[in-house]
Amino acid sequence: MIDVNGLEKVFKLYHRPADRLREIVFRRPYHTPFHALKNISLQVGRGETLGIIGRNGAGKSTLMKILNGVLLPDSGTVVTNGRVTGLLELGTGFDYNMSGVQNILTNGLLLGMTEQEIAERENDIIEFTELGDFINEPLRTYSSGMVMRLAFAIAIHADPETFLIDEALSVGDGRFQQKCMRRIREFRQRGGAIIFVSHDLNAVKMICDRVLVLEEGAVVAQGEPEVAVNYYNRILAGEQEDAALLGNVGSGYGSYEARVIAAKASGENSAGDILSSGENLLLRVTVEADVAVADLTLGLMIRDRFGQDIFGTNTHFMDYPISLNAKEKRDINFCMPMILAPGKYTITLALHEGADHTDACYHWWDNAVQFEVSGIRGYSFNGVCNLNPSIQ
Amino acid sequence: MNLPLLLHFVRQDLIDRHAASALGALWTLLLPLSNILIFTLVFSRIMGMRLQTMEMEYLGNYSYSVYLVSGLLAWICFSSTLARITQVYHANAGLITKVRVSLFSLPLYIIVSETIIYLISMGFFVIFLLLIDFKWSYHWFWLPIIFLVQQLLAFGLGLICAILSVFIRDVKELVNVVIQFWFWMTPIVYAFSIIPEKWSTLFLLNPIYHTTKALRDTLILGQSPDLAGLGMVFGCGLLLLLLGIILGRHLERDIRDFL
Repeated sequence: MIDVNGLEKVFKLYHRPADRLREIVFRRPYHTPFHALKNISLQVGRGETLGIIGRNGAGKSTLMKILNGVLLPDSGTVVTNGRVTGLLELGTGFDYNMSGVQNILTNGLLLGMTEQEIAERENDIIEFTELGDFINEPLRTYSSGMVMRLAFAIAIHADPETFLIDEALSVGDGRFQQKCMRRIREFRQRGGAIIFVSHDLNAVKMICDRVLVLEEGAVVAQGEPEVAVNYYNRILAGEQEDAALLGNVGSGYGSYEARVIAAKASGENSAGDILSSGENLLLRVTVEADVAVADLTLGLMIRDRFGQDIFGTNTHFMDYPISLNAKEKRDINFCMPMILAPGKYTITLALHEGADHTDACYHWWDNAVQFEVSGIRGYSFNGVCNLNPSIQ
Repeated sequence: MNLPLLLHFVRQDLIDRHAASALGALWTLLLPLSNILIFTLVFSRIMGMRLQTMEMEYLGNYSYSVYLVSGLLAWICFSSTLARITQVYHANAGLITKVRVSLFSLPLYIIVSETIIYLISMGFFVIFLLLIDFKWSYHWFWLPIIFLVQQLLAFGLGLICAILSVFIRDVKELVNVVIQFWFWMTPIVYAFSIIPEKWSTLFLLNPIYHTTKALRDTLILGQSPDLAGLGMVFGCGLLLLLLGIILGRHLERDIRDFL
């Protein structure tokens, strides 16, 4: 579907665009090169979803624009089969003085649909937007959420072979988002290929088959979503490791000015690391500091076996300030009702300063602790967690 | 760019652009109309006498109007096509940076929509001519050819200006200034006969002089046009278009980067 080989893109940065012409006339360079993409190769097959994550400026958008054909690469090849629709910016060519129906035509034609296709799908599109009578009003009367819904509805009905989605899923309310996700899954089941760029790591883990991490224009890691996302988190924390080490996270990374030296999870009654749903989980984390640390935060994230974030918090959120003197050791004990569905879980621990790990990360330990929920106390339930309902 | 999209762009350009105003698309016709009115009122006295020599005596008071309008409508079409194509990449930057669209066929919607405006104006003009018992001639079949040659020139020249304006913003203003000069350097509101002898060769280098003359020869005098002059303009237009496409292919990557 999409086959990209050895893609290179260098942006030439000029003081003024006119310098590009001076360059041609005088045959000497007037620019500073900026290497935006370095030797990118990727393949996406039928029914496959590739996620692309990376920091701002890592080259994600440039790559998407080249795949979409609005930028040209310096070298390398892009081979695409069938219609490629980019959801790079929803609602391209929308005219805010025109009604929703009229904009369906404009946008549809721009996305490569024929007039006949648009006429056939118009009702489906309108129904999907849930805009009701608003569809005949000019777009300027819409809320931004309504515009987005319209844009997404048209794009998803364009029925491309390949979908490029760039941060486009933050559309509308939760229910509408679920509807979009459902459509995307259907699209994939029918054999459509998706390239998905997002900063929402949870969404990436949920819908992608493979994930590619971009850093400074190059692919630094590629593989299972969970592994790639963990690697990306490590980049965010300011440390880059060889991609080969992926998956083997050991005892983590960080500056180690303060570190977790031991962590143990056990059931309140079961004492082992297997507990039943509904029982309290006791988590004891022993931390030690090399130097005095004033504003220390201990964070935890519980993930299920798919690597999906289930629950996370930290002592900063919980208003429990920690300050350690040099060489001081301390135990921190969490107790939480484990109302999760049966299954295996991991806990990732982090020691950092302030609310999150992006400022100063002392120690990040992926999957430091494992525990298993087995059996349910009380009524059986489905889903991720037990909300303990009652009938009145 | 496929045909439905082109037609949709044209429709947007002609009708939707004016959706919010009461007179709507009429505005596109009102500007040329006001021009015609002004020039007729101001120049008919001054120029009327000289035109008597052009076998238009039988038109009497209308001779200048016919002379002026035939030239002016074509000029307005040419100049606004040129000026608008020059800005086509900036005006559509939002589109070019988001949807795959050919840089070379994008200006077509401007050519088509300006042509439609021209045809509508010409329609009114022909009705006017019929009302004043104007002599019809089979040479009028030349008119579409002459017009196409002129639009080819606008396309070629406009494409080059559009590409340059991505790199040098001043091109837009420059084109507007040049259009002003060009207008007065072309015998549109005045007759070629008032040009001093020593300047006349210079005027012959102006391609629009040739298209305007060919237009009037066929429309007013009912003669076949001067094919040598028309051929030169056609060659000019083709060469410029080719040059524009070569330049565009060479710079396409930079154009897309800069927008």
